[in-house]
Amino acid sequence: MLRKEQNDLLCQTGPGTPMGQMFRLSWQPALLAEELPENECPPVRLKLLGERLLAWRDTQGNYALTDEFCAHRGVSLWFGRNEHNGLRCPYHGWKYDHTGQCIEVPSEPSESGFCSKIKLKSYPLVERGGVLWTYMGPPEKQPPLPEWEFAMVPASHSFMSKRFQECNWLQAMEGGIDSSHVSFLHSGELNSDPLFKGSKGNAYNMGDMKPVFEVVESPGGLYIGARRNAENGNYYWRVTQWVMPAFTMIPPRADHPVHGHFWVPIDDENCWAWSFDYKVTRPLSDKERKAMEAGQGIHVSYVPGTYVPAANKTNDYLVDRKAQKEGRTYSGVFGIAMQDASLQESMGPIVDRTKENLVSTDNGIIMARHRLLRALKTMEKGDTPPGIVAEHQHVRSAAVVLPPDKHFKDAAKEALVVQTGKEHVTV
Amino acid sequence: MQSESARMSSAAEARYRIDAPNSRPRSVKVIALDTPSERVVKELSQRQWNRATFFTASAFGGTPKQGESFSGWLSDLAGRTKNLIEEVNSADLVVMVAAAGESAQAASIIGEACSVKRVMTTALVLGGPAISDEALSKTLSHLRPWALMLVIASAEDYIADMLTALRA
Repeated sequence: MLRKEQNDLLCQTGPGTPMGQMFRLSWQPALLAEELPENECPPVRLKLLGERLLAWRDTQGNYALTDEFCAHRGVSLWFGRNEHNGLRCPYHGWKYDHTGQCIEVPSEPSESGFCSKIKLKSYPLVERGGVLWTYMGPPEKQPPLPEWEFAMVPASHSFMSKRFQECNWLQAMEGGIDSSHVSFLHSGELNSDPLFKGSKGNAYNMGDMKPVFEVVESPGGLYIGARRNAENGNYYWRVTQWVMPAFTMIPPRADHPVHGHFWVPIDDENCWAWSFDYKVTRPLSDKERKAMEAGQGIHVSYVPGTYVPAANKTNDYLVDRKAQKEGRTYSGVFGIAMQDASLQESMGPIVDRTKENLVSTDNGIIMARHRLLRALKTMEKGDTPPGIVAEHQHVRSAAVVLPPDKHFKDAAKEALVVQTGKEHVTV
Repeated sequence: MQSESARMSSAAEARYRIDAPNSRPRSVKVIALDTPSERVVKELSQRQWNRATFFTASAFGGTPKQGESFSGWLSDLAGRTKNLIEEVNSADLVVMVAAAGESAQAASIIGEACSVKRVMTTALVLGGPAISDEALSKTLSHLRPWALMLVIASAEDYIADMLTALRA
């Protein structure tokens, strides 16, 4: 359980909030690059960390992320004309450049220089790894661009998707580090999903339904090790990475692409669940890419023209009680992503953590909250929170079989950091 | 018309959640396994808890030989000898606290008793970045067979946060 004030502290990410400040100090995925596919393409409305923004791409290809509303009368610039190196408000013709600087106010004499006094709030927007990243913190604290491994491999080696999730970011993120639910909720998919099935690790998963956990602090967050029995008295370890505040990486299975997530607040009651898959030394196969595009693995299929999952709360997640009874899915919902999202959304927009009854296997979640709260305290003194420096981003999840006397943090030390030109250590 | 899921997961519907206790306090026994962790556990015991009680096994000198009593090495923080089996019998969770680099040998006796009585065990290892991997491994090797959940924490206040989270 958390006290209400602690829950509020962690869940509220709008401007001026401590947790919002933590998010604002690092680069966050804002849009898929495919959403702004060409110069002068239509602008895209988005809300991040409780701020209404407009993303667009000017005539020269400069990406822009600005206040959504015209400084004149508050019209949404989504209706604007993207033309000649700027976005023009259709109401009275005020025009802005990609930095948000007003460059034309037709009703005023150009000699007056009035337009130089008008500037919309704007944030940097940079493409890396098929994602448009933004930094919404103080300019003087802007860190170097993110160096997550999935964003550094060639485009042919990775796949990124995002989906709208209707709950607070923390309850979605906590699902990402809750390793003990996999053997239940996702048990059907371990044997059927083309991006999961066929791994020897799956047999260990299903052969030992009571994993033992070890939670260890890492420089950027946590290693969460789930230990199951393997042959000859050895242990099968699955080590999940959590990097503050909202990056999680799932341990690999056989030669399947490795996947993970970002959980980025839209506002306090909604978030973007970003899902990536990648291989280091080879391109994704056509079969793998098609499976991802079809919504398999950790991805979803969409309501056409949106990033809203096709199975969502408005259609009861297409729950199939017959499939549940027959054991094809554990909860009746199909697909790993929506199995998680359906349950997390059912908790309500912001779950009341004063009511929960955690058990000791929830220590990964307890420790993550502890570290977030601790980081918020040190931020008050001016410290930089973990997760921002490149070293904290050069991490990997791992699946390994180790002798019983070996600590995964030491025995799999190399497996838990990026090894250039080498694949993840997997079983 | 909205689907049932859409309606039921709204913020407005959250008001109608039953506001009644959904659990009874758990009995949590917190045992320091060595002298450094005994200091931490003593500090913890000064706080207010629901049903957490605190002990020390820092006097543990090794596995009792056959025929020897289990008593004598486990005590409460006032120094009164306690019977391990009786304490485990009344526990929902046993938390063992060890300092990295210490032997944590008492974990085997405590863990075995918990295993027989089917009581959940959690081990917390306290160790800052100054602790060597070797020292940590030594402690872990004694704890791992007996802890169903093992946490290595750099900050002592994690124990209090964990106990609070568990409603101890």
